[in-house]
Amino acid sequence: MGEPSQRRVVIWGHLLLLCVVAVVILAYWLDARGTSLKINNLLLVQPAAIFGLILVALVLPQVFPKVPREDVPDAAQRRKELLEVGRVALLAGAFGIFVFSLETIGFDIATFVFVAVGLYLCGEKKLWVVGTYSAVFSVLVVYGYQALVPYPFPLTIL
Amino acid sequence: MSKTLTRRTMLKVASGGIAASFAAPAILRAQSTYPDRPISVVVPFDTGGYNDRLARAFAPFLQEAIGQPLTIINRGGGGALLGHSYFMQQPDDGYSILCTSAAPYMPLNILTQDAPFKLEDFHMINLPSRDYTLMATSSESDIKDIEDVITRLKADAGALSIGIQPASADLVNVMLFADANGIDRDGLRLVTYDGGGPARNATAGAVVDIGLVGGQGFIPLAEKVRPLLVFDDSARDGWTSPTVTELNGADAEFVAGSQRGWGVHASFVEKHPDRYQTLLSAIESASKDEATITSLKAQDLATDWIGPEASNKALAATARVMTQHIDLLKGT
Amino acid sequence: MLDFSALDGAYSILTSSWSAWLWLIPGLVIGLVFGAMPGISITMAMAIFLPITLYMDFLPAIVFLTSIYTGAGFGGSVPAVLMNIPGTSSAVATTFDGYPMARSGRHNQALGVALASSVMGTLSSYVLLLFLIVPVSIIVLKLGPLEMFVIAVWGLLLLGSLAGSSVWRGLLAGIFGVLLGTIGMNTAGFIRGTMGVPWLLDGIPAIPAMMGLLAASQLLNLINTTYLIENEDDRKISFAKIIDGVKLTFKSPIIIFRGATIGVVIGAIPGVGSSISNLISYSETKRNAPDGDSFGTGNPKGVIAAESANSSSEGGAMATMLALGIPGGGATAILLAAFAMHNIIGGPQFIAQNRDIVYAIIFSNFAQAILLLIVGMGFVYLAASIVRVPLRFLIPSVLVVSTFGSYAILGSLAGPITLFVFAILGWAMVRYDYPVAATVVGLLLGSLLEQNIIRTWQISRGDLGYLLERPGAILILVVMIASIAFTALSKRRRKITSSVTDPAES
Repeated sequence: MGEPSQRRVVIWGHLLLLCVVAVVILAYWLDARGTSLKINNLLLVQPAAIFGLILVALVLPQVFPKVPREDVPDAAQRRKELLEVGRVALLAGAFGIFVFSLETIGFDIATFVFVAVGLYLCGEKKLWVVGTYSAVFSVLVVYGYQALVPYPFPLTIL
Repeated sequence: MSKTLTRRTMLKVASGGIAASFAAPAILRAQSTYPDRPISVVVPFDTGGYNDRLARAFAPFLQEAIGQPLTIINRGGGGALLGHSYFMQQPDDGYSILCTSAAPYMPLNILTQDAPFKLEDFHMINLPSRDYTLMATSSESDIKDIEDVITRLKADAGALSIGIQPASADLVNVMLFADANGIDRDGLRLVTYDGGGPARNATAGAVVDIGLVGGQGFIPLAEKVRPLLVFDDSARDGWTSPTVTELNGADAEFVAGSQRGWGVHASFVEKHPDRYQTLLSAIESASKDEATITSLKAQDLATDWIGPEASNKALAATARVMTQHIDLLKGT
Repeated sequence: MLDFSALDGAYSILTSSWSAWLWLIPGLVIGLVFGAMPGISITMAMAIFLPITLYMDFLPAIVFLTSIYTGAGFGGSVPAVLMNIPGTSSAVATTFDGYPMARSGRHNQALGVALASSVMGTLSSYVLLLFLIVPVSIIVLKLGPLEMFVIAVWGLLLLGSLAGSSVWRGLLAGIFGVLLGTIGMNTAGFIRGTMGVPWLLDGIPAIPAMMGLLAASQLLNLINTTYLIENEDDRKISFAKIIDGVKLTFKSPIIIFRGATIGVVIGAIPGVGSSISNLISYSETKRNAPDGDSFGTGNPKGVIAAESANSSSEGGAMATMLALGIPGGGATAILLAAFAMHNIIGGPQFIAQNRDIVYAIIFSNFAQAILLLIVGMGFVYLAASIVRVPLRFLIPSVLVVSTFGSYAILGSLAGPITLFVFAILGWAMVRYDYPVAATVVGLLLGSLLEQNIIRTWQISRGDLGYLLERPGAILILVVMIASIAFTALSKRRRKITSSVTDPAES
């Protein structure tokens, strides 16, 4: 494989993930050391954290792979990929809002809204289907779990 | 188990099921008086533990006495910190009551976990279950008695491995025991366990030389262990070992073990004295009811009536001793 | 070992009241439904029905509760296969091959295999129990921290086979999981990594985290797909194929036997039991199988290994409970409470005095296992219809059910928040080719590893001579190393022979 036919690329998403992992490990290690330096505290955590950081260093080169020139994604490919990730991000965002709004707006309303939005994002464009399904599903899941679980679910309407 | 049944059994089962699931109020009250809707019982532990079993076993009798169904809400985690905090966030209107191991968890939450509440925020109605630390060894062990333990530990404080829970009344007790008997407390070989159960199993299986754990939990394992010392001022549960007051004199220092039972918000007592009286007398009459006593005794659950005054006093006393030894409770 | 007069006593107990057997099927159905709902634990199901048993006689009460136990034990495998959701930590290894099978249109077989392995696991564990209850209970008490540490390391060996395309990434995913698994208050009382969040004191909630890593992350990705199974013809629900799966299971008696033995022995250890046994059984089977490389892509043997081990853990947990009066987990604690309600107190003296009751319980479990095959078949048939639901409905619905389930575990937002965070993490990991399963295994074993290495250090004070005082630990180590060496050897031999006979095979 000749050098000119290859190009180094940066996989930004992978770099970001690796940074998150490294920061979490480092922060945890420092926090553990801040709690106490006794062996009863650090016996497993310290060696594991060091090992983890070494592994991060070993994986790091894989973030900058050399790719054959013809495999470097062109603009159209990139746009398609971005679109796919975008849809996932939208759904994930909706899911996040759903999770954090459960206790404030009630499980019933949050569920109804999230299922409706999720259905729409996933490709169901008939609004009456979206509305009916979300309503029926919310009622079923709320009453179902309430009957089975020894906790109250904060509700607004049901 | 007789050989008749079928129809009779089915009827009994069916009626039992109905009684259990609907819990029809036995005393009908006017709508305006307390309680006019179901009462929640917050248990700051998961299903299956002592407090959960106590709450579920006592609930049928209490709901009959108070005339409204009880809903049990388990909020386990963080050594009862999460459940206690959750309870404090509930309105102090008497529709949420607490069934918990007030000691040692409330003092521990406050002393070691920056709890968002004070001991004075709670008011205990009845703490019928009062545990104690038991020092024990495996029945196969060559340790004969408490004198033997003291002799060995005096010669070398690390001679015996000691199974114990960190941040517990038991840990305070072993330190007080070391001080009282001329043993170097810093040299002790402590082996820490996350729960009473694992620590007891390790003791019974001779994985550790001695264990200090809540004594009531040892009862099912009585055959597998030899009791060495009871940390209380009188003999408990038929253990043949001496008590700490017999060993170190009547003024020997020790901490009581878990104190479990029923509590409410302290502010509820001031805001709604009439409701408080209703709840108090319901718990009192349910606790003293013959049927309750038979049923709970069979499950090894406590139902004695101690009353609010003695309960709160005992809890405060335990909290005081634990505060004195706060340095012991923060990691070993 | 068998006590015949007690067997006779057991027979008369079991035949004393035929009405008791009426509780078998309701118990199984309740267990199946509760077990299949993400986040609802076996303990919760049993705790809810415990008060009703107060009004029953002893036998029906125990039959009813143990049926729930048996049913719920299998119920958890259904979402594991169909949606990659391990409802409990004991169903983790089931997802490794069960879900890929379902995705490739072999959902019927996968469910049939899971059901039959569960039934066989339960049956064989109770047969073993009949003979081994006393020795198992003695071993359990003798297990010290060093032995537990070695067992946890054994579970960790699985990381090696989960690594995927890059060894470094696989190890990083595993060690990251181990570290996350130790967050919170450790066994010596030190609080680390909680960032002041009170619910992290007990560590990261494992089940929401697993549901996030394995299931929710998948669901997010599926937004660009229309059906769980791409090929329309494969989306059928067929009894014949479920039965195919059942038959397939019986062709692997060795895997079942190994799984059941691992399940009984490790399941008997209070507290950890079933969540490790399925991992060890899976990794042992994978290493020993001639087609080990296809594990993780939908090999039914993986499902058999996982399911036979996790269902037989029930028998192990019952052994500890019956012989020692020690509840290994919430479910057996509830059973002990039910015993107590009928004035039967568990403990070492219990098994000596009530051998007839013990045998009666074992026999009623035989009946449950066989009935489970029939009831489970119907249940699985209904549950499989999920593959016919278009994903646009399934994705938001299952995300919601997972959220409710993770709320149900702790009763607070802690569960849903964990689910969300780990869903994002899992999605990113899958995208960049990290094995999320390795993180899950690390997360499950992290605190177990830490607790036991710390306790070993506390007892031994760092003196290596302590190892010599623990023949049990040496034995486990030897078995483990021998098993690895044996596999390596036979693999080499296979490679040599296969390269001679069939050079084209890769």
